[in-house]
Amino acid sequence: MGQCLRYQMQWEDLEEYQALTFLTRNEILSIHDTFLKLCPSGKHYKEATLTMDQVSSLPALRVNPFRDRICRVFSHNNVFSFEDVLGMASVFSEQACPSLKIEYAFRIYDFNENGFIDEEDLQKIVLRLLNSDDVSEDLLMDLTNHVLSESDLDKDNMLSFSEFEHAMAKSPDFMNSFRIHFWGC
Amino acid sequence: MMLFFSYLENLSLDSNCFSSPPVNFLQELPSYCSVARRRTNILSRDKQSGTLLKPTDSYSSQLEGGITENLNSQSIRKYALNISEKRRLRDIQETQMKYLSEWDQWKRYSSKSWKRFLEKAREMATHLELWRKDIRSIEGKFGTGIQSYFSFLRFLVLLNLVIFLIIFMLVLLPILLTKYKITNSTFVLIPLKDMDTQCTLYPISSSGLIYFYSYVIDLLSGTGFLEETSLFYGHYTIDGVKFKNFTYDLPLAYLVSTIAYLALSLLWIVKRSVEGFKSNLIRSEEHFQSYCNKIFAGWDFCITNRSVAELKHSSLRYELRADLEEERIRQKIAERTPEETIRIYSLRLLLNCVVLAVLAVCFYAIYLATTFSQEHMKKEMDKMVFGENLLILYLPSIVITLANFITPIIFARIIHYEDYSPGFEIRLTILRCVFMRLATICVLVFTLGSKITSCDDNTCELCGYNQKLYPCWETQVGQEMYKLMIFDFIIILAMTLFVDFPRKLLVTYCSSSKLIQCWGQQEFAIPDNVLGIVYGQTICWIGAFFSPLLPAIATLKFVVIFYVKELSLLYTCRPSPRQFRASNSNFFFLLVLLIGLCLAIIPLTISMSHIPSSKACGPFTNFNTTWEVIPQTVSTFPSSLQTLIHGMTSEAFAVPFFMIICLVMFYFIALAGAHKRVVVQLREQLSLESRDKRYLIQKLTEAQRDVQSQSD
Repeated sequence: MGQCLRYQMQWEDLEEYQALTFLTRNEILSIHDTFLKLCPSGKHYKEATLTMDQVSSLPALRVNPFRDRICRVFSHNNVFSFEDVLGMASVFSEQACPSLKIEYAFRIYDFNENGFIDEEDLQKIVLRLLNSDDVSEDLLMDLTNHVLSESDLDKDNMLSFSEFEHAMAKSPDFMNSFRIHFWGC
Repeated sequence: MMLFFSYLENLSLDSNCFSSPPVNFLQELPSYCSVARRRTNILSRDKQSGTLLKPTDSYSSQLEGGITENLNSQSIRKYALNISEKRRLRDIQETQMKYLSEWDQWKRYSSKSWKRFLEKAREMATHLELWRKDIRSIEGKFGTGIQSYFSFLRFLVLLNLVIFLIIFMLVLLPILLTKYKITNSTFVLIPLKDMDTQCTLYPISSSGLIYFYSYVIDLLSGTGFLEETSLFYGHYTIDGVKFKNFTYDLPLAYLVSTIAYLALSLLWIVKRSVEGFKSNLIRSEEHFQSYCNKIFAGWDFCITNRSVAELKHSSLRYELRADLEEERIRQKIAERTPEETIRIYSLRLLLNCVVLAVLAVCFYAIYLATTFSQEHMKKEMDKMVFGENLLILYLPSIVITLANFITPIIFARIIHYEDYSPGFEIRLTILRCVFMRLATICVLVFTLGSKITSCDDNTCELCGYNQKLYPCWETQVGQEMYKLMIFDFIIILAMTLFVDFPRKLLVTYCSSSKLIQCWGQQEFAIPDNVLGIVYGQTICWIGAFFSPLLPAIATLKFVVIFYVKELSLLYTCRPSPRQFRASNSNFFFLLVLLIGLCLAIIPLTISMSHIPSSKACGPFTNFNTTWEVIPQTVSTFPSSLQTLIHGMTSEAFAVPFFMIICLVMFYFIALAGAHKRVVVQLREQLSLESRDKRYLIQKLTEAQRDVQSQSD
């Protein structure tokens, strides 16, 4: 696993990335460094891609129970280009706006990708959060029913995007917990 | 109603299609499409963007029109697209700009540059943030609950620094400028008119040679050489500073600085707690925490450490199970029989009386200790032994600390019998401890106040206070506050050095002993630590009037405490399996701080308005009470302003004003009630519409199936 050709990022590119994402200069440069260390040798950073496994094993994502979903949502054709990584870091940065985070959180939590968070998705989320082998059916059903009773406004046993948005706007912890620092850990 | 619901349930059980309609149908609905369009952008569907650039095509110009509205309102970054698509969007935006007028173009350009400037400024500001890296690393290792404690500590450091700056600018600066002859100004000393000379006697003991241990005692208790310095109120026996063009009224400045720092603290705390309060208000459910919040926002995405992740998983397991348990207990409570309810309530009444009795005993002990300490301080101090000296000086502080150590244990025992739900138990215990801790300071101050204004014979009539024992009572109150602060600081350092670190050493090296393993490593107890620093801050607020340099000492103290606590956390603590939630924590900390501020304002207002200011020292020698400065200043205003102010403070204004505020409040309460009713109605309607939709979809699927089977 060699290193990419050590091209310095052009100043115009840096300015453009700053304008198009929520990241600061230092954050973009630090992600650039990490990307260069991981990508295959002999390629310019703009053309190189990382596999989903490589991104999953970044220190920031290594212990995240939702890392496979994150990788799936942000990658294109199962690989990450540099701009994909930047896009991911931008959504998870501190300065990102709530609507963007809610949008991607919905996509991450929608395991079966049918545009709704249904009971099956909720059960998977709870199992990932608890990460234990002996979770009783009752506990799962109880928790799922509580979540749906709180946020399912039209009583169809699924959360549409508007219902999810409404629930997250009321949630005080969402903005604080939906943050990842991809640099300098 | 019940029949209706059971009918509905039967319906849903009958046909599978009815309960979970085919999702692809739902994805074709216009409502779904418009939401999807709002979320991303129509560009992401039309990969061939060629048509969008041509303004001639009528359909695409409609699209463009639609996009232009969208493009104007949001910045590019907020779109949920990847970077290459955002680039295309920006290019289109820039081509759009050509079709706009000059004015619109300039408006757009200037708003963009202003936003960019604000961002750069915000980025600079975050670099200046104090202890940013430390707090970030604590967040990564211990979670957001403990990180919120350290952010709170940083907030208090800044608050104390700003308070000290206010006091410095208003009170200290003119005096320093005059003393060190930086400006050409002089002090103005108005001699006392027809005052008994007895009141102005202020014997300051100044012995020639100071032994070392009396130097140490003076440093620790604020007596002796420290008494005359600018640390205490007594130093500021000046009526004004005469500059070239005007005279700077020092008594007014002193009072204004006090009011200013109290008002600033109140405003800053309220501003900080507004976000937490808003989110608490929005939660219309009875639960303190909602399940949505815990499940969707439960995982801290910034955790990078595997052991911390394990801990987070186990804390989530604990928390979710505890919540379900609390549900069950709440249901059980709702099903109580009347006899049981009566029994429980009478038991609670009894136990609350026990709590009050415990509080009364503690307060009385503090009263006795303060009285004893004050009486014996007046006797010959040099004749006492060193240790005995310190013990008597610090007796009130020691009693307060002991009381604050014992009462939480008693409260924790009592609350088991009161049969509340677990969450409520924790909150009630914390509230009782908070009240206990902060009320002890008030008791101390009131004891001092009663001693100052009570005399054996009629000697109080002379000057209004007990001038024999307290010739300069403000300085002496300031000394008590100074002692409390120093003792608090020493205790915190001692607990960390002599309890936390040895405990960690014991656990690491004597792991064979079962008892020590049971005791285990220290956990960072957030409520206790927060109470400790709020206690320190309350002392600072009360004491800043009597000892203007106290906020500077408090700033230094909190800075040292930050580093000490951080070291203690990193080296001696293990993360607790029961974690405090950050949103809860912020609101709780600020609420406790607000209680401390309110409890600090009470003794200050009483001493400023009711106890006569000492005639022997301080800026208020020419006034009966400290508050009198204000009426006197108002009487120097022009007469129209005076009548205005008199009008605003009279009853003729206050009563109608109060009635209008009550009316406005009732109006808003009624409005909120009406809104709530409308929300409930709309929710019902939404669920009914959804049922209709599912029914129609089911009918449509059946009809499609029939058509297909017919055509086959």
